[in-house]
Amino acid sequence: MSSLKKKINNMNLIRFRFWFQIVAFVLIVYGGYASLDLGDKLPTFACVFNSEGTGGKCYIGMLQHDLKNPFEIFTGFAGYAFLISLIMFMVWFWVLNKSWCGFVCPLGTMQDWLTALREKLKIRFSEYSWASRSNIKSIKYILLILLLIIPVMISNSIFGLPKLPNGLSMPFCDICPGRMLIPAFTGNFNQFYIDFSSKTDLVMTTLGMIIVGLFLVGSFIKKRFFCYFCPMAALQYIFSKPALLKLYKDGAKCTKCGDCYRACDMDILEIADDVTNKNLVTEDCILCLKCVAACPEDGCLEANFTGITIFESTKEGFILRMAMNKQKESHE
Amino acid sequence: MSNINHNIESPKEKQNRHKAMEAIKLLNTLREDFKAPIKSMEYFYDLFERVHCKHESLHDGKTKIGTMCIQIPSEIIYALDGVPVRLCNGFYTDDEIGSDLMPQKACPLIKATVGHFASGNFTDKPDIVFSPTTCDQKTKAGTTIESFGYKLIDIDFPRTKESEASREYWRRSVKQFAVELSKFQGKKLNRTDLRNAIKKIGYAQSLYHKLSDFRKKEIVPILGLDVFLVTNAFFFDKIDNWIEATEKLISELEIRAKEKITVTGKASPRIVYTGSPPIFPNYKIPQIIEESDGIIVADETCSSNRMFNDMVAVDEWNIYDMMDSISDKYLKACTCPIFTKNEDRIRRVVQLVKEYKAEGVIYQAFAGCTVYEMEQRSVLEAMEKEGIPILYLESDYSPSQGGQLSTRVEAFIESLKTRRRKKK
Ligand code: SF4
Ligand code: SF4
Ligand code: SF4
Ligand code: SF4
Ligand code: SF4
Repeated sequence: MSSLKKKINNMNLIRFRFWFQIVAFVLIVYGGYASLDLGDKLPTFACVFNSEGTGGKCYIGMLQHDLKNPFEIFTGFAGYAFLISLIMFMVWFWVLNKSWCGFVCPLGTMQDWLTALREKLKIRFSEYSWASRSNIKSIKYILLILLLIIPVMISNSIFGLPKLPNGLSMPFCDICPGRMLIPAFTGNFNQFYIDFSSKTDLVMTTLGMIIVGLFLVGSFIKKRFFCYFCPMAALQYIFSKPALLKLYKDGAKCTKCGDCYRACDMDILEIADDVTNKNLVTEDCILCLKCVAACPEDGCLEANFTGITIFESTKEGFILRMAMNKQKESHE
Repeated sequence: MSNINHNIESPKEKQNRHKAMEAIKLLNTLREDFKAPIKSMEYFYDLFERVHCKHESLHDGKTKIGTMCIQIPSEIIYALDGVPVRLCNGFYTDDEIGSDLMPQKACPLIKATVGHFASGNFTDKPDIVFSPTTCDQKTKAGTTIESFGYKLIDIDFPRTKESEASREYWRRSVKQFAVELSKFQGKKLNRTDLRNAIKKIGYAQSLYHKLSDFRKKEIVPILGLDVFLVTNAFFFDKIDNWIEATEKLISELEIRAKEKITVTGKASPRIVYTGSPPIFPNYKIPQIIEESDGIIVADETCSSNRMFNDMVAVDEWNIYDMMDSISDKYLKACTCPIFTKNEDRIRRVVQLVKEYKAEGVIYQAFAGCTVYEMEQRSVLEAMEKEGIPILYLESDYSPSQGGQLSTRVEAFIESLKTRRRKKK
């Protein structure tokens, strides 16, 4: 048992994650061809527009769809159905917590691939300035609220406002980079279009194209560029507290060396500087566990599943991962 | 009779003779006065003897990069083909020379360092000196040292470390340092060399950590004094030799641990040492502690633990990220008292006490080291809150002060023993 534990703590997380993400990507993006269907409440971007390939469906897409009903409907059976969907979503989410983002989400994985490409080209990454960081934080919640309210406003008039045009029935999907990029992986480029049929469609689909461009350029220069704005992350974070997988920190053991912060693709300062809280799954955290792998203090950071430590920072593991365990000069 | 041919001793010779005496006195004590001496420590005893008594130079033909304090990244120096030589000094002889050049109440470490420069008497004379602006006295000593004709460059070091601005500021300083050094060396910094340097230092640090692991055990197989010697050797030794010697030391300790060979008495209290750094041959306080039946199991000082504990972690092994990682490590993890707030240091000491199962803390400050003197209050308060006994001592480099200090240390160690008996 303890030797297994040691093996896990010494693992090369970067490599493990790289392969895990590939497997997850294949399941989510191509699983449909092998009749995989994980349902339509997935807390990750398994895009419905990738209709043949997808191994399950994205709840953000479903949620917008479900909300486009007159209020009366929700008081009846549909209301229960809606609640059950939400619970299903939470249950899926609770298993992995935000590791859905760090290990499964195809959009997240694509961003990591672009990062790997940039790294290969030896181009420095950019960071958001600290002033803009705090402003950016709220954008994902705003997007979430919009994507919840707009569909409702199609079938209902709220505060006496006129009902919205039907073209807005899936407002976030219109601008979601997943709609174009995920089907593209199955050779389906049909989503790259601008819809001239109505003003709303024109604006939304143009916006969508722009966002895809930003997504590609942005995540090339900034690690996980899109994740800062992602409404899925916002929705997840609301339910994150009771999740089974956790990132814990023992502040007493922390030297605030900042190694974890530097490894963090989401530039989460708290991971290094917070020495009082135990649960370090913060709103932008994607539970990628890179910080755990980069922490040199024994037992300071850990991934914990239902109270059991599954992967924790150790000096030995750190030294192995940084290849500092032997005195070998490399030349290339 | 035999003195007839005796030449008049030059000041330099006199200084060397005095320093050699200081050195050999300590080395002989370490060699002979403690039980169960470790064979592989002989390398380190011999190293200090060669350098300080026989005046052997270690780095002939290499460019020696002098550093003051621990914030000048050795990784960059090695990557640019230099040899880092840390010039913090522990000799009373040099302290006396420096006393004439510095205010009376200045820190003995700085007086000794300045005195050393004033005499110009080096076995490995630095070709250039980089001085991070840490404590006031070190910062100001730079110009004095420069006035003796040395090439000295100040490296801006921020004195708050919590803010993001200070991170940026220090990253820029480190870049500037690399540029200056690269100009001086006529060599461009490249990715492979920097990566190899990071890994080599990381490996050396990993050896230090292995060494420390033995001190966590119930049966302590190595003296704190010996560990100080090992870590002090890293100031100036050839890194490959140091690595080899430390590997040997570790293998010997492994055997000792198995055979349960201990260097302590039956009930020696375990001590964590913190405060102004013991630098060879000023091991006054550690020596008193270990001669009074205490055992130093860990320390929080810049001549030892602080130099090795925190490691550079690189995410993207390209120059840009390696440079940032190096910068951050030298700033963020540092628990030097020159910073404004210093909860990090307190947390560290408490953690060391827990991890090394220590029973008390001894905090020494050099008379004149204002920052350590000032931090004393908050550390004492914090230890009291944690229920950790702590003794605060002030000392300097003079050999005369011993008696009064040992009485206090002995009393403290006795009290720790009584405390343990009561607990049982
Ligand atoms: S477009 Fe985006 S939000 Fe809509 S279903 Fe696809 S992945 Fe989900
Ligand atoms: S934050 Fe959004 S885009 Fe990023 S990994 Fe999570 S779900 Fe995917
Ligand atoms: S890497 Fe570990 S020790 Fe360093 S700041 Fe992060 S949590 Fe603390
Ligand atoms: S805090 Fe850790 S787990 Fe969370 S995103 Fe940053 S590196 Fe990943
Ligand atoms: S011991 Fe104190 S005064 Fe002396 S150099 Fe260090 S911090 Fe400065």
